[in-house]
Amino acid sequence: MTSTPLSDRELRAERWRLRIRGWSDFAGRFGRRRDGVIGVGVLVLFTMLALFPNLIVGPLQTATTAPGQPLQPPSLEFPLGTDDLGRSMLNLTVHGARISMVIGLLATVVTVLLGAVIGIVSGYLGGRTDTFLMRITDFFLVLPTFVLALILAPIILELVGSDAEIMGIPSTLVVIIVVIGVTSWASTARIIRSQALSVKERMFIARARVIGGGGGHIMWRHIMPNVLNLIVANTVLVFAGAILTETTLSFIGLGDPLLPSWGVILNSAQTSGAPGLGAWWFFVPPATCIVLVVLAFTLVGGALDDVLNPRMRARR
Amino acid sequence: MGSRYLARKIVQAILTIVFIVLLNFVLFRMMPGSPDRVLARNLPDAARAELRERWGLDQPLIPDQLVAYIGAIARGDLGSSYKFSNTPVTEVIGDRIWPTLILFGLGELIAIVVGLGLGAYSGWRRGGPVDYVGNGFSLILYSMPYFVIGMILLIVFATTLGWFPTSGMFSLGHRFDSPVEQIADFAWHLFLPLMTVAIGLIGQYSILMRSSIIDTLTEDYVTTAKAKGLTDGRVLRSHALPNARLPAVTLIAINLGYVIAGAITVEVVFGWPGIGTLTVTALNARDYPVLQGIFLLLSISVVIANLAADLIYGYLDPRVRT
Repeated sequence: MTSTPLSDRELRAERWRLRIRGWSDFAGRFGRRRDGVIGVGVLVLFTMLALFPNLIVGPLQTATTAPGQPLQPPSLEFPLGTDDLGRSMLNLTVHGARISMVIGLLATVVTVLLGAVIGIVSGYLGGRTDTFLMRITDFFLVLPTFVLALILAPIILELVGSDAEIMGIPSTLVVIIVVIGVTSWASTARIIRSQALSVKERMFIARARVIGGGGGHIMWRHIMPNVLNLIVANTVLVFAGAILTETTLSFIGLGDPLLPSWGVILNSAQTSGAPGLGAWWFFVPPATCIVLVVLAFTLVGGALDDVLNPRMRARR
Repeated sequence: MGSRYLARKIVQAILTIVFIVLLNFVLFRMMPGSPDRVLARNLPDAARAELRERWGLDQPLIPDQLVAYIGAIARGDLGSSYKFSNTPVTEVIGDRIWPTLILFGLGELIAIVVGLGLGAYSGWRRGGPVDYVGNGFSLILYSMPYFVIGMILLIVFATTLGWFPTSGMFSLGHRFDSPVEQIADFAWHLFLPLMTVAIGLIGQYSILMRSSIIDTLTEDYVTTAKAKGLTDGRVLRSHALPNARLPAVTLIAINLGYVIAGAITVEVVFGWPGIGTLTVTALNARDYPVLQGIFLLLSISVVIANLAADLIYGYLDPRVRT
């Protein structure tokens, strides 16, 4: 029995058919997770705020363009009240979404890149490289990384200067992003490594090696696609962690006052004594946003983990 | 307990501490130019040269400076604070340890008892009303930075209702007639920060214990225990709980590093004079010697707590003792 080999075009069409079936399969299974769908809804809403803050509330208000009196309670004119400089809390909170989400996104990219590369290399190469990399990983897992971040941030800031710009992004933000990334990749690396270890033993890796595939090629084309599921689910959870870390770092004063993320707003609420003055509207809006976004990421991450990594379901 | 297991864990912990000390050395030397440029910014050149000599910064980095640094740490000399008029760092930090230890020790204790209990019950009665409400609350608390919980408690119970003080550890300018009165005043100030820490942790611990119990309930020995006709409570107490406890021990120790981040912010909200407020003061003054000292103290504490968890784990679970 002979089968005619598929032409290039048919092959490509078949590949797309499989890919689309995979996607719709995934969408169907994810759609049945109510918590995941609610999470996605919340995230879409906040992404809209982050993308178009100017359309929604106008340009970011500063100390000089503040339209109101300091610490006005919510009113028709200022639905969420004003801060200690007389800026509208609605304006600040919406713009805060953009700053917090951008820092969170970039920090997540750094974290996941570091973690995935270290995890895949460590798992695939094995031997001494693995021992060495995992020693470092364990070290970072034990370390109170938040305290490390807190010391690193001002030191790096002194190294690069606080008015500098790196690729058009103010150095204060870059430093926060890098510091979060450098201090939180370890658990990602651990998860990816353990999966890479088992993928490495599968037959197609041996085949790829036999036909002369190099280490880099195998890791990128064969290991990476097979750990992608884990990377995706982990990314979502890392995002939640990054937003929380940024908020906490900014809250204790490492944020940039000119770029008010939710953490920076909470910091100015604290330093201006808002809780003691009864000015709840100064911290409730940004705090609510943080809780909603982090909760949404956690729900989506949990649902993704269940849908993408069904074999690990017993874990939860 | 197997002495091999014990020895391996202790060696690992010591290695980690050595790494931490080295990291601390590198961080301190990473600063632009050298530490004296930051720490003695406003001094004339002559005085700076003198400082450089006193701190040994004119010596080569390795081995002289490294040896001197390790020697100093071994003697418990962490240098002098930049902000607190040259007080030794160990003294500055030492004054702040007790408030933090009391706040977090008690907070952890409450959270472990309540959180693990709540989690175990939720997991046991999965889908029941306690699970439904408890899990929802835990997830929300899990997503909430500690200081936000603190700010809410503060504005409700201190500012609005006036039941508790808004900040500090003792009433200022008050003369206490008896130690009892002083302790009462202390407890009154402690209550809100303590509740913040406990509430923040309860969410994490209950989520953790819940999933641990749910995992355990699928094990064969639990089915066997049920098949033997044991009562529900008996199955939970003698078969499910002892095994579900294990991952909880490890995760509580791992969590400690994150708890510290929360610790710092809660103290800031309530003006609690502990390590957290000290960290922020030192951070704002760029008081690097104190920051380094705090980093050293906190990371070594976490390593020791992890070691303790490993040893407890080894004691609770004979299987790992090889």
